Amino acid sequence: MVTPEEHEDGGSVPGLDTPEPDDFVLQASDLTKSFGSVAALRGATLELRAGEVLGVVGDNGAGKSTLIKTLSGVVAPDRGTIFFAGELVHFSSPRAARSLGIETVYQDLALCEHLTVARNLYLGRELTRHGLPWLDDRRMARSAEQFLERLGIVAVPGDAVVRNLSGGQRQAVAVAKAVAFSPRVLILDEPTAALGVREVEQVLDLVRRVRADGVGVILITHRMQDLFEVCDRLLIMYEGTDIARLTTKNTTLEEIVYYIDGGSGREHQRAGSITSAS
Amino acid sequence: MARELTHGASADSVGTRPRVAAQPFLRRNVPILALIGLLVVSGVYFSLASDTFLTLGNFLNIVRQSAPALILAVSMTMVMTTRGIDLSVGSLTAMVGGVGAVLMRDGWSVWAAIVVMCAIGVVAGSVNGFFVAYQGIPAFIVTLAGFTAFRGIALILTEGFSIPMRDERFVWLGQGTIRNVPVPVVIALVFGIIGWLVFNKTPFGMRLVAVGSNPEATRRSGVNTAALLLRVYVISGLAAAVAAIVIAARLGAGSSNAGLGLELEVITGVVLGGTSLFGGIGTMTGSLLGVFLIAMIANGLILLRLDPFYVPVVQGRFSWARCGCTPMWRVSATLRRDSF
Repeated sequence: MVTPEEHEDGGSVPGLDTPEPDDFVLQASDLTKSFGSVAALRGATLELRAGEVLGVVGDNGAGKSTLIKTLSGVVAPDRGTIFFAGELVHFSSPRAARSLGIETVYQDLALCEHLTVARNLYLGRELTRHGLPWLDDRRMARSAEQFLERLGIVAVPGDAVVRNLSGGQRQAVAVAKAVAFSPRVLILDEPTAALGVREVEQVLDLVRRVRADGVGVILITHRMQDLFEVCDRLLIMYEGTDIARLTTKNTTLEEIVYYIDGGSGREHQRAGSITSAS
Repeated sequence: MARELTHGASADSVGTRPRVAAQPFLRRNVPILALIGLLVVSGVYFSLASDTFLTLGNFLNIVRQSAPALILAVSMTMVMTTRGIDLSVGSLTAMVGGVGAVLMRDGWSVWAAIVVMCAIGVVAGSVNGFFVAYQGIPAFIVTLAGFTAFRGIALILTEGFSIPMRDERFVWLGQGTIRNVPVPVVIALVFGIIGWLVFNKTPFGMRLVAVGSNPEATRRSGVNTAALLLRVYVISGLAAAVAAIVIAARLGAGSSNAGLGLELEVITGVVLGGTSLFGGIGTMTGSLLGVFLIAMIANGLILLRLDPFYVPVVQGRFSWARCGCTPMWRVSATLRRDSF
């Protein structure tokens, strides 16, 4: 187990390739998933420890989003196993994953435009009064507002309708919704896409904070600098499989891009890709 | 099961309120205000043109006549907010009324018949709901099938005749009064109030809006959306059964012609009220006012001795007039969004 302090200087998880299995809060192996004739996952394996940030990297169509959707219960894999805290689990629905403490920020944000910020945050676990099925809107709005303010990404009033929010505010709400209920695993699919420079920094800071709380974080992003800033380890996806595992502090952008490109016999293209990526 | 947000505990941490105006009351309620405007304008016109229009008796008369539509407007608002529609409710009232009449003719007690009538509504609603929620068939198609089939069953049961229902206790539900207020009005009022509360103040109502707004996001939030949709069609079926009881009791007969076109009257009223056909936006108050407006126009025109054949034409004009208001608030909504 790694203590949070060790992460402060940029990630220092020991580069063990085969740690003890019960170390993992989440362990998925050999996941396959096809959509019609398109094989999105061809035997992907992933393991995540509590209190680490795992960056999942890959080109478009490499299977990153499908992989995390199987972990959050949105998509049922055709084959493969998922262990949560050492126990075999089958997610029949997102509700099942959520009840175990696996929270996800989806790329498309997955908010209900017509509901208020507070109602979005509490959707599925509404606050009610006196145990009756009676919404406590005031308490939800107040609590949501305070929570968003504590997160400090962007200021958002709790009773505003999401339709009237800016892209950055929506992103903040989506992130808040995922971290609000003490997750054990937090999955972030492009959480910084709609944000400005300052807000991105706030989200990355938030990732460090939840990691310090012992949460296992999976981060998908196109921004290479985010990976180096917060990730302890990287999992590189290529054509539906996990092609490589890297420890962030021991790797280089060059090596990452090399694996994103498929990882073999592409010496010339490697040089070109690095130029365009950096 | 609900918990407080864990990271947002301390009460005094709120400093300045973040910007993004909560929408002002006027703007938020443009659809309903437009509707109230139409109600007032036409109400004033009818009051001036007819001596009898603006009396309590006439008001109760309008509500009594539109009670079945008001009851169905409650459930239709819920259905349409989830992006659905229920075209089968008109035919279902005929089927439920027919079954009730046949049962009572065959010597069943009033209460047993009423229970069976409600049960039929629930079963019919669950059939609709099953296909919509669990088979993913568009609600329009599913309930169009019910629209045809249910009236067919009503015809078979009644053989096309109007079957009399003479039991006084049953007839009271349609013709009686409680302290001078017609019973159908009381039933519609109770239905409306409960519907408003459920829609606006319960997790169920909130999830209806959520699923109409973004079904996939709602599912990912851990809501069992299929069960939610099933329930909303069951409510619709039950509301149709209640409407059927009111209609049959008012006519004192069960007829396969009951509720002809009722579903369209209800949908018109609900849309007039500001509920979106595309889901996510629903207003219980608007629906009830919309249905009331349509009934009021018919009533006023009849008092003015207009040829009844013209009444639907005028009602249609009102729908257009109300539609004319839609672009106005769309524009204002766009302006608001762009100002951020």
